[in-house]
Amino acid sequence: MRPSRRVSGLLLGLLALIAASEVAAHGERNQEPFLRMRTAHFYDVTWSTDKVKVNEDVVIEGKFRLFEDWPANLPEPDVAFLGNGTPGPVFVRTESWLNGQPAIQSVPLKIDRDYAFKTVLKGRIPGDHHVHPMVNVEGAGPLMGPGSWVQVAGRASDFVLPLTTLDGTKIDNLETWGVSSVVGWHSVWIVIAILWLVWWTRRPLLIPRLVAIDEGREKLLISRADLAAGAVLIVLTVSVVVIGFVWAENTFPRTIPLQGGRAVVKPLPRTEAPVDVTVERATYDVPGRSMQIRASVTNHGGRPIQFGEFATSGLRFVNRELPAAMATVSATYPKELVPPAGLKLSDSAPLAPGETRSILFDMTDAAWETERLTSLLNDPDNRVGGLLFCFDDQGGRIIANVSGPIVPIFKDLVAHQGMTH
Amino acid sequence: MSSVIQSSGEVRSASASRPRAMVNLKPAIFAMLGIVVIMAGYRIYQQIFAWSAGLDSTDPAFETYWMGLLKGELVLLVLSWAGLWSWLWITRDRNLQALKPREEMRRYFNLVLYIMVYAFCVYFTGSFFAEMDASWHQTVVRDTAFTPSHVILFYGTIPLYILFGVGGFLYAMTRLPRFAERISIPHALAVAGPFLILPNLGYNEWGHAFWMMEEFFSAPLHWGFVVLGWSVLALGGLLLQIARHVFETMGRLEQEASA
Amino acid sequence: MSAQLQENRDSVVLYGRRWSRENAGLSRTFDILVVIIMFIAITAAFHLHFQLTVGDWDFWVDWKDRQYWVTATPILLMAFPAALQYVFWEKFRLPIAATVCMLGLTLGIWITRYSGFHTWSYFPFSMVWPATMIAGGLILDAVLLLSGSALITAIIGGMSFGLLFYPANWPLLAPFRLPMEAMNSLVSVGDYIGYAYTRTSTPEYLRFIERGTLRTFGGHSAVVSAFFSGFVCILVYLLWWYIGMAFARVATLPNRMKSFMGLHDRGAEGKDA
Repeated sequence: MRPSRRVSGLLLGLLALIAASEVAAHGERNQEPFLRMRTAHFYDVTWSTDKVKVNEDVVIEGKFRLFEDWPANLPEPDVAFLGNGTPGPVFVRTESWLNGQPAIQSVPLKIDRDYAFKTVLKGRIPGDHHVHPMVNVEGAGPLMGPGSWVQVAGRASDFVLPLTTLDGTKIDNLETWGVSSVVGWHSVWIVIAILWLVWWTRRPLLIPRLVAIDEGREKLLISRADLAAGAVLIVLTVSVVVIGFVWAENTFPRTIPLQGGRAVVKPLPRTEAPVDVTVERATYDVPGRSMQIRASVTNHGGRPIQFGEFATSGLRFVNRELPAAMATVSATYPKELVPPAGLKLSDSAPLAPGETRSILFDMTDAAWETERLTSLLNDPDNRVGGLLFCFDDQGGRIIANVSGPIVPIFKDLVAHQGMTH
Repeated sequence: MSSVIQSSGEVRSASASRPRAMVNLKPAIFAMLGIVVIMAGYRIYQQIFAWSAGLDSTDPAFETYWMGLLKGELVLLVLSWAGLWSWLWITRDRNLQALKPREEMRRYFNLVLYIMVYAFCVYFTGSFFAEMDASWHQTVVRDTAFTPSHVILFYGTIPLYILFGVGGFLYAMTRLPRFAERISIPHALAVAGPFLILPNLGYNEWGHAFWMMEEFFSAPLHWGFVVLGWSVLALGGLLLQIARHVFETMGRLEQEASA
Repeated sequence: MSAQLQENRDSVVLYGRRWSRENAGLSRTFDILVVIIMFIAITAAFHLHFQLTVGDWDFWVDWKDRQYWVTATPILLMAFPAALQYVFWEKFRLPIAATVCMLGLTLGIWITRYSGFHTWSYFPFSMVWPATMIAGGLILDAVLLLSGSALITAIIGGMSFGLLFYPANWPLLAPFRLPMEAMNSLVSVGDYIGYAYTRTSTPEYLRFIERGTLRTFGGHSAVVSAFFSGFVCILVYLLWWYIGMAFARVATLPNRMKSFMGLHDRGAEGKDA
């Protein structure tokens, strides 16, 4: 590497550190609402810490449900991968698990089933990073869960990723493993190529040679020395390849191919949801930033239930009047994802076993705007989707799917709807 | 030096006492240094603002740093294209029959230098910022067509090579008799192919909006760029054409010297 | 420099023809400028072609498999060397085109791996190192020089081009194919690097790699792939030799804008070189 490039490299490296300290969110806000409301709904997500040093771990755990009302324009999750929505490799992922199974390979997942995940990330590049759990679904792209800021402190140069292979080779740092060998072999070939080019380009090249061919003197263009050089080049090239290959075979006698299989992960056991929600009419009041869902809810269970939370697109509208629901929001959960007004109900009396009641769920908050869910209006498939968390009188939790068409309202028609707050 | 250029009725003659150098490298070297400065500036800008303001297109900082840069580039594009091309056209040589071999030779070298500056710009698009595009889009979630990579790769570097590509073509057509007489197909291909990469962006963004949710760089969606890139091979034909013209001009130079 | 060139005070003989010193000097300047242009232009166009056809396999250590990487890379790499060998050999008798292509590509790739993947996107070089492709280029040029024949170059050079790619890269790749255990699973070091360093928009399933769905002839996947690649390289070489020929054709059309440009008709001498 020339000194000038080294200097520019240092400069760029320095700038990387400056820039890395103020990383923004990841573009999840500009994903279409149907991608965020009706695909993977993440819940019970926790981040073990919001501050780590380089080389320290942060553990992200939680669950997600692949939504029953999966958009018809997306492929089903037959091939999926548990990813992490971080700004590139600012962390390294040392472990990831889906329902207790290793998630190092891609898996088929099932719609309308729940999965528990756990990802261990190790701090690598200093800065404040937005860290989301994420599921990549082939053809559908990255489906992001809620994001929380995690600060990585320290120096990037202190990062190491050591490991020991099954044949006993100790790798001090995976970042630099094998790199000197790569650079060495590239250098050998570059030097040979340059020598070959110098051999030819030192002589008059273009017009005199073109003219010599045009005028029938092409025999003067290639000398015996040139032919000999060509023969030497062939022998040299083949020899270097053979020597390199034999060296590698002797140095690394026990190697395996890339492991490209697919894993199988069983979904969490299905819990029969004894709550049935049928959307009667859902509206979105654009200037009022308010979503209202009137739904007919039936309690098929044996205990009275109350409604604690409506979750969609990473936002949690929590019923602040219900202690059981508020208890699920930890103090460290990202504040911007729990709108302060929360979930309001037209009728907060518990729904008795066997009872069916029409209830208006009201979620009003500027978060709809900041999270760009207002672009729902631009979707070619205007449907709302989310999870309704119901709690029985013994603290048991039932998660019901809510989905249905949604109609925008451009004027203040709340009074017309007969809503009583 | 005795060549005469008639331009807008005005007769200009070069100094006879101080012959102009046959090969004037200075403008090309300055242009290439300028390009290096611009490209280094773009790269540093990306390093600073891509992570901090380029991940979320709904962020006001994105509007400031990336859409602002894009608008600036579009203004520069129009101004630079209109400026250089109209200058080349307006100052064209209207009396090519009177062109002497020494001046013709000088112009051939100018054309070669134009192509050199063009190739230098194409490098930053085809190699440098193009593969950088992979390093960005495979790493982050894409949420707009105007990503920190695209704003520079597509709307910063492509217009620049089009500027010099078309500029070189106009230079040849307006100042070299044989290029004025007949349009060179290899030259047209070597300029038009890479030029078409700009409108091909329409296909790229269409595909990424409708079916390519992940970034697979080798995907067929990207092959339009590849096929258009092949047209750079037409520089081989152009090389042969210029080499033969230069050789023929050399013959006239020798005749002039012996006369 | 040998008997090819003889000199006197006013002129110089280059390849059996006398040139004035001024013309010889101009010709040499032309050489240098064109070599620079070709090197830059080839790097640009060939790198674009390469990255958008087989780039993903080259970007990542966990994509360099025994099936697609070994098969597809030489086949797609063959395009520019073959096309440019036509021009440089047929018109100038210079057996350097394939080497120039590979050297330019190698330098272009290293610059962007450093600037893009490493500095911008934080990936370690152990993950994003490029394959070496120069050996194949050297063989193509040397075989063309010794044989002087496109057909022989296609058959011997093309087959060697495909066959040499994997063994030339094995000393670079082998350290990344050591076995290790991660989360109770067997993976190679390369798999683990690809897993550990997140590519948010390029998840694991996008890897277009050998999935073990085919019979692999006792683990000789790479040999079978290289042999197949060599065979296709023969055909691709010939195809691109002719594409190079088409691009090198000096065709012209009358300039219909001549009168608009204010130029007088020069009569019948419109025929070009």
